[in-house]
Amino acid sequence: MIVANRVSKWFGPVQAVSDLSFEVPSGQIVGLLGPNGAGKTTTMRMITGYLPPTQGNLTVCGHDTIAESIQARRSLGYLPESAPLYLEMRVVDYLHFRGRLYSLGRRDRTAAVKRVLERCWLTDVRRRRIGHLSKGYKQRVGLAGAMLHDPPVLILDEPTSGLDPAQIRETRGLIRELAHKRTVIVSSHILPEVEKTCDRVIIIARGRIRADGAPADLLARLRESSPYVVEVETSAAEIARQVLSRVSGVATVEIAQAGAGMGTTSPLSAGWARLTVTSTTGAIDLREPLAVAAAGAQLTVRELHRESPTLEQLFLQVIEADDARSP
Amino acid sequence: MTRLWTIACREYCSLFRIPLGWVVVALFLALSGAVFSGRGLQPGQPATMRPFFEIWWTLLVIVAPAISMRLFSDELRSGTIEPLLTAPVAEAVVVLGKYAAAVMFLITLLAPTVAYVALLEALSRPDYGPILAGYLGILLLGMLYLSVGCLASSLTSSQTLAFLGTFFALFLVEILALVAAPVAPPVVRSFLYALSVDQRMSDFARGLIDMKHVVFFLVASAWFLALASLALESRRWR
Repeated sequence: MIVANRVSKWFGPVQAVSDLSFEVPSGQIVGLLGPNGAGKTTTMRMITGYLPPTQGNLTVCGHDTIAESIQARRSLGYLPESAPLYLEMRVVDYLHFRGRLYSLGRRDRTAAVKRVLERCWLTDVRRRRIGHLSKGYKQRVGLAGAMLHDPPVLILDEPTSGLDPAQIRETRGLIRELAHKRTVIVSSHILPEVEKTCDRVIIIARGRIRADGAPADLLARLRESSPYVVEVETSAAEIARQVLSRVSGVATVEIAQAGAGMGTTSPLSAGWARLTVTSTTGAIDLREPLAVAAAGAQLTVRELHRESPTLEQLFLQVIEADDARSP
Repeated sequence: MTRLWTIACREYCSLFRIPLGWVVVALFLALSGAVFSGRGLQPGQPATMRPFFEIWWTLLVIVAPAISMRLFSDELRSGTIEPLLTAPVAEAVVVLGKYAAAVMFLITLLAPTVAYVALLEALSRPDYGPILAGYLGILLLGMLYLSVGCLASSLTSSQTLAFLGTFFALFLVEILALVAAPVAPPVVRSFLYALSVDQRMSDFARGLIDMKHVVFFLVASAWFLALASLALESRRWR
């Protein structure tokens, strides 16, 4: 559906995107992640044909975004960052205007406008001026405008920025629903959102792809290095440290005192200490040997689990690695 | 063609959805009415629209930039230009659509002044030749000024800058013809006079429709519109 072939973009002497290649098949939801200034918006603008690449080329539904720009644009729906709209227009007039730009006939247009108004929960405000609507509604109007002509490809730049948690949830549901038989590229800062919504994640930093894959696959790789957490009574902490250190496959055991919790589960209550166990090889699950060893030493274990990595950790790791590579 | 009309209609309507459009219409009509009744509609004077047309040429230097300043600057500032230019519409169509809206607005400004002609008809027997030619001249001059404004607006996201840029450019050309031309070498002088619209407009006001002038206004307008379209496309190579 979308093919980027060795795409680079320079703004004068500044390189915004460098040698980007990816392919997005039909029906996939791709999350584009990256710190501010990583080249996300530039990449999206190049896919929509708003900006041409300096080098390389992009195709959307088989049409080159520059040479066959008009055909490529026809199969695209684009919601730019912060959903720019004509504030003086009424919602329904704006949608009809968009429909005319895409040459929808009167009957098709009326049906399409009705459909997107219902889909984006805008029916109640259809006669209101866009400028009088709240941020969440404006975002939905932008989304409705982008999907009005039923494009096979949707490009959404930060569709949830500035929304409250309930609206973010609604938008997520909407994107999931829209993705049915559509290709969606969505950029976001809210990582748990991306994790829940997207089939695939592309992390870019300094204009380069740093990670690309299904969230579960990317996280599985990170899981190999994630530590185990064991909670025992404070009085037995030192003994536990020695016992657990002797388990084969354990690299280090550290004691975190009560109150200095890891933050992932409930904070430690007085009288309990938490031990962080790292392994030498990530592939083997150490939970069982650890439990057996603790039971053998007659320790009272309140909790034993392995930290599950989040996309946020992956993101930070990728970004830090990138910073280390080019200071 | 339908898309051009779609863009023109949206732009035209939006001028009336904001105060700017109404304010320009109201101020203009008040001023032109005062001029017409004060100088044109006097006992013993010839039944002519000439004073009205003369004030118009001067006013257009301010009115045209006020109409054209928001055409692109507003969209560049708010970012609405992005969804517009990623719709399957060519840049030239966007430029022509917006320009058409501006010209339609100018015609809307002019339309109520037909009442002055009706008033002259009621009071005496006006000569329709110079009146028709005068209206045509104003329309052509307005089209040229609006195309200059269109170009200025496509170059900046600041409406103020677009207004001032257009205003000073139009003003400068006239001032140069007035002040610099008499003392300039003959080659420069004839060039400055050619750029100036003053001579062309007095021909129209006398009822003279010279094809030379008509072609000048149309070609110059088309030239500025082409530049505006190019300015919009320039993001592709900047």
